[in-house]
Amino acid sequence: MDSENSACGNPNPNPTLGPSKLMLAFRFLRALSLVHRTTPASSRTCRGRRIERAAYASMAYSAGTGRGWSRAVLRRLHHRARRRAVAPRRLSTTAGNRAEALRQLVPGGAGMDYCTLLEETADYIKCLSMQVELMQGIVDSSSSYGP
Amino acid sequence: MEAKENNQFGLEESHGDHISSHSPGAVGFVTPLTSSPILSASMVEAFFTPGLWNHHTSSCTMSFGESINCVPIGKPVAMSNRGMLPSPPPGEFPHSLPHFPVDSGLIERAARLSCFGGGSFRGISLLGPSQSMTPPSGASKDAIGARVQKAELNVVSLPVEHGTIKGITMNNKRDRSISHVGTSNNKSREGNFCEEGQERHTGSADAAGNSSSSDLGANKRRKATEEMEKEKDQVLRGLQSSTETTKDNTETKCKSYKHSGKNAKDNSEAAKEGYVHVRAQRGQATNSHSLAERVRREKISERMKYLQELVPGCSKVTGKAVMLDEIINYVQSLQRQVEFLSMKLAAVNPQLDFSIEGLLAKNLLHSHGGSSSAAGFSQEMIYPQVYSSQQGLAHAGISSMLNPSDAFRRTLITEIPMASGYKETSLQMHNSWNEQLVMQMAYGANPPLNSQVINRKPDGFTI
Repeated sequence: MDSENSACGNPNPNPTLGPSKLMLAFRFLRALSLVHRTTPASSRTCRGRRIERAAYASMAYSAGTGRGWSRAVLRRLHHRARRRAVAPRRLSTTAGNRAEALRQLVPGGAGMDYCTLLEETADYIKCLSMQVELMQGIVDSSSSYGP
Repeated sequence: MEAKENNQFGLEESHGDHISSHSPGAVGFVTPLTSSPILSASMVEAFFTPGLWNHHTSSCTMSFGESINCVPIGKPVAMSNRGMLPSPPPGEFPHSLPHFPVDSGLIERAARLSCFGGGSFRGISLLGPSQSMTPPSGASKDAIGARVQKAELNVVSLPVEHGTIKGITMNNKRDRSISHVGTSNNKSREGNFCEEGQERHTGSADAAGNSSSSDLGANKRRKATEEMEKEKDQVLRGLQSSTETTKDNTETKCKSYKHSGKNAKDNSEAAKEGYVHVRAQRGQATNSHSLAERVRREKISERMKYLQELVPGCSKVTGKAVMLDEIINYVQSLQRQVEFLSMKLAAVNPQLDFSIEGLLAKNLLHSHGGSSSAAGFSQEMIYPQVYSSQQGLAHAGISSMLNPSDAFRRTLITEIPMASGYKETSLQMHNSWNEQLVMQMAYGANPPLNSQVINRKPDGFTI
């Protein structure tokens, strides 16, 4: 994902409006094509993981550096996170402290106060849903074009 | 609380249990004390906890009667209350109220006790279980007095509400005895609320009449249950703020109970521009910590509401814990979806012509609700949006429209990294609707060869 990292470092000029769908789409598609080009066709899971990282990266870039979670995601990417997935999915203890569980889910949530955490969660949810929509659209369009 | 949960004073939100636990006691305590229709009205009203004021009433004149009537519906204790209240006062209460012999001393004690209606109802609750509903006819003055004394003894540190009594009775147009009560209350004070009461009394007397004092009372009742900790300066401040804000509230007086409280709170909230300008409400501590706490709490609740809108299917959910659970589940599900879809995309045959036009057209059509009439139009829209900042790219876009090819699409995809300044402009283009203009501009120039487009460096011109 180096090409993506180096190429687009522009923060979102209007963070209040939220990430633009168009920007997200372009970034992600570019990253997707990159992944498909670079990874060998044999390692499907590896490619899958890369695509997932590309998804989060494009999400974070589209959101810009105005958001805590996007900064955390980019930090994680830049530092070559040892974890495979960009967003580690840990079992959240719903019985226990819910704020802690939320902190684990939202990237960069550990260092935030509760108030900021809620705000970041809202933005994160927005971006995530946009990303999911986009990916679903890609899958649908590619599948509709036939095998 | 039970069915009648009109948040007249907004107390149920935070203290529903608190109030409901106390209200039966209050009701049980009230009835023996009513010595006159006037007094009974005030007494009843004053004793009825804010929880009892759930029974939202349209007019204040009807309020007490209705509240009295409503209470029996909700609470078992109140059932007997209905039986306890015989002939209604003329013209005011459609429901029966007891005609108790008027006793000045009783009025005084009753009024004093009525002051404690707003604050914590611990004292009253103490009395509640011990009180038994006795028929008014059978109630003797001594018994009533004894009970009153007991209530006084138990109730130690409840907020004083001269204004409440005064305002309420004024609202009921029964200011004769109650004003007397109010003045008498000034003399008989308990604890450290003497000054408060006097200040409030003077303030309410001078303030814009009935509604203000009643609003003060409502405000006080509402806020007092939140925090029992009080100081003199805080009361002053709260009093001033409440009077200021409630001066304008001259609606129907019973409505004003709710509205004034709300308005006062809203005004105070509006005054909070930063963390500095929080205004202490009446009945709340002016401790900087508690003020900051309140601001923080409101921020958090505001964000929770926003999250509630974001997360689908959470509009009915109430309560922070459940809401948080839903949010956590939703975030988890979204992340799982991303993972699943990425796996799926990995499996998708790497036909690199992921058809930007088609996909984006679809997405844009979805997002903009199909504002563009034809898919072709939206496709034309897309290209200027993306490549407008770069003339070469715009040409490329046009030529791509004219001759769509896989190879060209690939160049388009790979070309994007070269464009440095296109993001901002494209965003602007995205937000505005200048695409047609751009398109025409692009059409004007001759479309260069693809190689030229690839080699051209970004100009970064803005439109």
